[in-house]
Amino acid sequence: MFKDKLVRCQVCEAVNLDRSGELFCRRCGEKIHTHRYISFHKTLAFLITAVILYIPANLYPILVTKQFGILKQNTILGGVMHLWEAGSYPIALIILFASVFVPILKFIFIIYLLISTRYKLGSSLSDKHKLFYITEVIGSWSMIDVFVVAILSVVIHFSAVSIIPGKGATAFALMVFFTMLSALSFDTRLIIK
Amino acid sequence: MEDRLDRFIICPKCHTLHRKIKLHYGTKALCRNCNSVIYRHHKDLIDNLLAINWVSFIFLVVTYTFSIMKINFNGVYQHLNIILIFEVIFNSGFYLVGFILGFLIFIFPILINFIMIILLTFMKLKRSPYLVKRLLILVAKISPWSMLDIFFISILISMVKLFNYANVELDVAFGSLSIVVFLNILTFKRVRFGAIWEEYNNIYGKA
Repeated sequence: MFKDKLVRCQVCEAVNLDRSGELFCRRCGEKIHTHRYISFHKTLAFLITAVILYIPANLYPILVTKQFGILKQNTILGGVMHLWEAGSYPIALIILFASVFVPILKFIFIIYLLISTRYKLGSSLSDKHKLFYITEVIGSWSMIDVFVVAILSVVIHFSAVSIIPGKGATAFALMVFFTMLSALSFDTRLIIK
Repeated sequence: MEDRLDRFIICPKCHTLHRKIKLHYGTKALCRNCNSVIYRHHKDLIDNLLAINWVSFIFLVVTYTFSIMKINFNGVYQHLNIILIFEVIFNSGFYLVGFILGFLIFIFPILINFIMIILLTFMKLKRSPYLVKRLLILVAKISPWSMLDIFFISILISMVKLFNYANVELDVAFGSLSIVVFLNILTFKRVRFGAIWEEYNNIYGKA
């Protein structure tokens, strides 16, 4: 049976017969994926960029509060701890999950998928597909922190108190952008083989 | 051989291959492996989607025009609207963040909505198959980058944080944004792109 030779088009969801090299969808005509070798390295390159950006995103302040002339800088983890101490437990947990755990989980999932498909290791094909699906779905939720910083910097804009984004916000937004690119460039045919 | 592939569908979650069967009205097909929905029976798909997208477009314009919330800090009011976000971010010197936010919560959501209206209208009129095809591809490619739903959750989180500083009052655009998010979920979470492409094949054939 040709079951293992079928791939799903990411654009129109049509079932296509896999051929080696570049593959174009029979329904929408879009390139399903480039050559597998290129896809692997593209995913890896985006992932490495994202991992590098994750470091300044966590070390530099994401939020700077100016209260009566005194500057207070908060990193992502600092902000979570501040919320926790203030008793906003659910919000602290959401921020902790979306901004700290989700990026780390995405890194681990993509690294695992790349290694396991390259060296044919680990769990079943179906589990790897599920893992990739989760990676795609959760990826964009990390942007919550950047949006919150943007909203707060608009509404807390008084002479006595003001909030401005910190350097970490740029690194964080770029990190989310590159992790999403990394997941989008991953060729699901790598899992099939 | 290629046409025979139309009888199959691959689960988007676990990639299990299924043979398609005809569904009754209002029913859905579930994956035998992971139990997720792989396709549904849609009645009047194009009409319904067109109506939803028009309503969504109107509320999106309201969201971008009016204030989402206002906060009262010792008698001084400050408003939040989406355009103001880019202005403040750009004025703070964070051009890259402003640029990214501009695409994620303004350009992509309104572009997707506008394109959906155009392509669904053409599909209803059975015209311009090539243009409809290109627009469907464009929407599928930019839809992962539209983040209004995440922005909506961010507003709720910000509100909790803002209670420490001032009184928060919700405005017109908050209601309209809630409706837009709900309608987007209705459009893109319930209706899969594959269903629109099947309608495309039914309307224009496989030319």
